[in-house]
This record gives sequence, structure tokens and C-alpha cells, in this order.
Amino acid sequence: MSCGVPRIAAIEHPFGLTLGPAQDAARQLAVLSATLRALEEISQPGTVVHLPFEWDIGKKLNTLPPEAPPIARLLRRHPWYVPKFLNRTPPEVRDLAIL
Amino acid sequence: MAKIVNSYRFLDGIPKRIMKHWATLGERRQIPWSPLAKPMSQCTVSIVSSAGVALRTDEPFDQEIERRDPWSSDPSYRILARSTATGDVRVYHLHINASFAQQDLNCVMPLERLSQLEAQGEIAHSAPSHYSYMGYTLRPDMLLCHTVPGIIGRLRQEQVDAVVLVPV
Repeated sequence: MSCGVPRIAAIEHPFGLTLGPAQDAARQLAVLSATLRALEEISQPGTVVHLPFEWDIGKKLNTLPPEAPPIARLLRRHPWYVPKFLNRTPPEVRDLAIL
Repeated sequence: MAKIVNSYRFLDGIPKRIMKHWATLGERRQIPWSPLAKPMSQCTVSIVSSAGVALRTDEPFDQEIERRDPWSSDPSYRILARSTATGDVRVYHLHINASFAQQDLNCVMPLERLSQLEAQGEIAHSAPSHYSYMGYTLRPDMLLCHTVPGIIGRLRQEQVDAVVLVPV
């Protein structure tokens, strides 16, 4: 489904750390403030403001979940579902009996 | 040179290819638009987080829904007061390392930071209520038909002027 978002403030941060590192209040505050500024200044629907913050690549963080998500495990066991996943067309609920 | 965000920087291999493919799917639709009616310094702001955050005293998000049907997830939402602190919540999203948000809720739902911006006068008020839901689902019907209207109804009741949606 295409994303029809009125205003986007794009941030290059890892998943699960959208506002910034844990306990980094200064970064979190700066990102939120910049986001609200973008919200105020954007005048055309669909505008993307690219926030200027750089993620410190020296911060090696494991951002993966502790175990693979259920959908990843399902697709490994039943790779014939991969086309449905790629096209975002889930199977009928009744087909779940075979999972 | 102005920064251009690389949306795929923290993805590689198969997940990266999937996300790039998903970005091409679907028809382009008219983007909903409401002009901001007043300066941000006069606005009441609410945060909506897709991290699946719930109070420890509230009903947990049901992760078994997704474990039973990996195409789906718990479609409900939770309400979090503006004063909610990190120790008050648990994070239920199954596709991220939730430990960062468990250490500091502001990573995914910056309620404390929003209160700071209120104190600094950048916004008028942090809304009384903020919201979270489970962001992963490939069966969005319940989310779209029940959760989203429920959140919108409460936002209107609290006369919220602007919403920051924080994806994870």
C-alpha cells in the first residue's frame, strides 16, 4: 500500500531508535524539535524534510529482535509463501491450518 | 551539502530488497491534508507510536495473535498519559530490539521530550493522552476500521492540533 503521508520528517536512525539512542536526551529533543518545525513549515502534501542528524557509526548496536519474527520463521519453513509476502497478499485465514 | 536520508541504510540483504519492492506497490492516492491552523507554539500535540507500548498495569498487546497468524498482529491500541515514564511500560513489538525502548521510552515515544518542549514554549501543550499500537500487520482491516477511528475520536475530544506518528 503506498504511503500517502501529509508530512514526513525523515531520520536516518536504526529501527527501534527513531528518536535517538537511549539516555541521549539532547539528540531525542533535537530530533523531536526538528520534526515539529518540519510539521509547521511544510506547506505541500507529501513533502519530505530530510533531518540532518547523522547516526554515530561507532555505536555498534544489535537492533535485531531477540528471536526472528513469526513471519520470518514461517517463510523459512514455507518458502512458497514468499510471493504472497512480497506482494502483501496474505493467505486466507483458513489456510493457516497448515502453518 | 544538505543531507538526503537513506531509508535503507539499516537494512541489508533480503529485508532491504523486500522493503524496496514494497515501496513500489499500490496506487498513488490523494494525500489527506489539513493545514496547521495556528503556530506550533500554540498547538496541543499528541504522539502515536507503532512500537506496541502498553502500561504494565494495562492489558498487554497479545503477541500470540501474531505467533498464530504471522501475517497479522494485535490490532488494538493503548492510551498512555503524558506523564508516562519508562518504568511504567512494556514494549511488545516483535520486529525490533525492544530493549532500547525498555531502557528509555523516549527512543520510540518521546513523552518526556515533548513535555520539555512544552516547558520551553515550543508547543502549547503535550496532550493529556498519547497512543500506541502494533506497527506490523499485513491484515490491516481491524486497525483501519476500529483502532484508527478510536484514536481519532479521542484526539478530537482532547482538541489535539497536531500528531507526531513515530514509526519504529
